Amino acid sequence: MSENTFMGVARESISWAPLIDYEKCDFCMECDEFCPHRVFERREGDVKLVVANPNNCVVFCRACSKTCGPDAITFPDKPQTIKLIKELRNAEGGTA
Amino acid sequence: MSYAVLACNGVDKVEGALAREVGLQVAEATGADIICPVLLNRAPDHYEKALGEDALIVVDGCGTRCASKLAAAVGAKPKQKVLVSKLVKASEEQLQASLRLGPKEMALAENIVADVVAALGAPGGQAAPAAWEAPTEFFVVPFSKFEFRIPKQGYWFSENDTWARQMGNRARVGISDYLQQQLTDILYFNPPELGTLVEQFGELGEVESSKAIFEIIAPVSGTVVAVNETVVGESPELVNADPYGEGWLVEVELSAWAEESELLLDGPAYRDTVGPKAAEY
Repeated sequence: MSENTFMGVARESISWAPLIDYEKCDFCMECDEFCPHRVFERREGDVKLVVANPNNCVVFCRACSKTCGPDAITFPDKPQTIKLIKELRNAEGGTA
Repeated sequence: MSYAVLACNGVDKVEGALAREVGLQVAEATGADIICPVLLNRAPDHYEKALGEDALIVVDGCGTRCASKLAAAVGAKPKQKVLVSKLVKASEEQLQASLRLGPKEMALAENIVADVVAALGAPGGQAAPAAWEAPTEFFVVPFSKFEFRIPKQGYWFSENDTWARQMGNRARVGISDYLQQQLTDILYFNPPELGTLVEQFGELGEVESSKAIFEIIAPVSGTVVAVNETVVGESPELVNADPYGEGWLVEVELSAWAEESELLLDGPAYRDTVGPKAAEY
């Protein structure tokens, strides 16, 4: 895997990243402290945390959501993402 | 076997109140000693005997997992763990806003307790009798002060750092040496249920370290036929000590190996991903 492909598919073409529900998020920053891939970034103002680098997120990893007390983080549907990756692989000739 | 139960008492959230109720009921059902998390935090020596002699059941309320972190901080290894918020989600019930438990919450607590108690006595299924020989030849990827080992052959990797080793119509699944070193000390393996049908890249339970909870991404699809009871019950540290051998996690009956292995990396291909990954980490 080069740093911008996953399973032989360009990372940018796979939409896999956390989605923060700001109704629930209490900005405790546990997720940001945990994630080593700098997916999140802190901000001044009311919204203190954003998903700044979605393509840094490791496809299929949901570990940050498991650190979240208020359960404010969701991810895309995994089976659909797998289906998309397989389709993209086939379109590109099926070799990784 | 004697038990001790350490439950979240976080009564500022309804999940915490529910966790407390689950803890009480588990204690009633099993005769377990109750460990107060507040006192454990304040004066761990008070529970030295219980933690040393009893099998520990940990009940967390929400994803902050204070009870688990507390257990880890005092070096206790849980025999079983419950995460109430996850079970609530799975039940598709909506908890009421009040911090007092209503009939619906009590019913949920009873269901959770029944599952916990049943799982305490459940067997781990039959691992295939075939000899799964430990790998003998490894690639070694050095990085900084680390060395990551990858078996040269016989192991197939997902890009999420899990491996499958196929034998006949079965495969064993575990995590790579790279992932176990990233996670640091594994404290607990929460196995999938026997008989579960898992899709390729679906979830095969979770491993937990003091750093994080990690989903085991299934490298292959199939039916869960056995879990590594030694890792679950007594020695999760085997995953660190021998990730490709004694630290295996799950055995599945394969459903589409030929097709699915095309989506996996062999030893040399996985080796090439590990260095860049470590550099990025």
